[in-house]
Amino acid sequence: MSTPDGLRAFGATARKEWRTVRRYLANLAFVVFWPLVLPAVYVLEARGFAGGEARALGAFAARAGTAEVAGFLYLGWAVFIWLTIVLWGPGASLRDEQLRGSLESLFLTPSPRWAILFGSAPAHLVLAMAMLATVGLTLRLGLGLAVGPAAALRALAVVAASVPLLFGTGALLGALVLWLRDASGLFMLLRGLFTVLCGVTYPVAVLPGWAQATAAALPPTHVIGALRAALLGGARLAQLWETIALLAAVGLGLCAAAVLLLGRVERHARHGRGFEWY
Amino acid sequence: MPLLRPVLAVVRRDLRTAARYPLGMTNFVLLSPFYQLILPSLLLGSAFLVQGRSVGLAAMAGTSDLPGFLFTGALVQSLLLGTCWGVNLTLSMDRELGTLEHNFLAPLRRDTFVLGSALASLVISTLAGVLLLVLGEVLFGARYLSAVVLAMPALLLTMVALVGLAHLIAAAVLLLRQADMIVDGVTFALAVLSGVLFPVTVLPVWVRPLALALPTTYALDVLRHQALGTAPLLPVPLAYAAASGGAVALVVVGRWTFRRAERRLEAAGTLVQH
Repeated sequence: MSTPDGLRAFGATARKEWRTVRRYLANLAFVVFWPLVLPAVYVLEARGFAGGEARALGAFAARAGTAEVAGFLYLGWAVFIWLTIVLWGPGASLRDEQLRGSLESLFLTPSPRWAILFGSAPAHLVLAMAMLATVGLTLRLGLGLAVGPAAALRALAVVAASVPLLFGTGALLGALVLWLRDASGLFMLLRGLFTVLCGVTYPVAVLPGWAQATAAALPPTHVIGALRAALLGGARLAQLWETIALLAAVGLGLCAAAVLLLGRVERHARHGRGFEWY
Repeated sequence: MPLLRPVLAVVRRDLRTAARYPLGMTNFVLLSPFYQLILPSLLLGSAFLVQGRSVGLAAMAGTSDLPGFLFTGALVQSLLLGTCWGVNLTLSMDRELGTLEHNFLAPLRRDTFVLGSALASLVISTLAGVLLLVLGEVLFGARYLSAVVLAMPALLLTMVALVGLAHLIAAAVLLLRQADMIVDGVTFALAVLSGVLFPVTVLPVWVRPLALALPTTYALDVLRHQALGTAPLLPVPLAYAAASGGAVALVVVGRWTFRRAERRLEAAGTLVQH
């Protein structure tokens, strides 16, 4: 199949996914409601832990590198919710096709596999961007966080570099669950891992050494860290450049790995029980 | 007692089903509260420690035992989560399997199924909650006072209240057919308002009356007072009176709502629609 035809197949998959997303309005409520409410609960919890004590707030600032507790928590949860959108969206899209019984038909078409694998990403990217915009507006208007245009642009650069990383993760998992056949179990496990290890609600500095090393090996830790540095820590682009490049490179690597893995899973399915066995 | 035998039969059925899927159940009532609630909160709390001591929590709640504070909250969270989701999943599953209509045709009161399902969920989630308390002491250094056993009546009142809540959830499942979002929101809101994660005095003033209307708030407050020596919101006898009033009100409102939902379904003939 030629590249223009491949792009048409990608566009058709993206349109189909967008229709599905629009069909279930609860998805849209999810991206507006939870990014507002979930971090707010942890902001209240942080207030309870600080108890208005300057020493406690000072200890947090020393460990987190910022005294902006609310901003710190909102940004951590924003990345976590983005990951959730990716896991249950692109990560589960092929599995959903399998459960509906349409996956085999899909693989009988001459569409390039990359188009099938990444076709669901644009619709969920729209949801993720709406969620990030909600968080941005909350930080700026609700919490009065002073975010200048330069800091906003740096944060956008981090977000742009993280797009292939997050959707590459989603695609890789999407291919993997065809083989594992337990999307829900795997996603719950990963969500738990990310919540506990990536510094969503806390500075990674409070973890023991071995856990800090594990956290550093997980890409979402760096997305959260870079966003916080850009918006709360006043980091300049020169300081963030290395992380941004790393995020983009790892993201592209994950996308390539996802395509290769899907190829292997397909070959395995062709020689085994096919895709209808789940 | 005519109600007891069928209720116990439903309890046995639900416990058997839960035992059939031990990993799923363990994940649901034990592991998810642990890694989704306690660990992130514990780590956030440790970012505020001053020389290893939770001075902020001590000023706010009257205890510096951060793990103790969170694990006692986790016990109530486990009860809340187990009961609400237990009833939701059982009724939804019965409907999907096509057995709900058959159950409702049996010569029994229909709330037998709600009551049995709620009790089975309470048995499982109480075990999970107690296990969480023990884990808190053994692995995270929580220190409970021996007076914690005096909080048993408060926990029993919580269970009564949760049976009432289970009827409300059951009514929502019957009427809305897909109540996962509602159950998710309700359990989350109740946990937050009951002070599972933080002292309710931290809540904005306009939200506090909601928290103070919940029996779970007083039960958890009494539990923490007895287990950790925290300053109670109300004197203990008054807290018991408030928790009892709230529990009875929830049971009355829950049963009334369930009966209304049941009659409405009967009239509309939509019990098996999903």
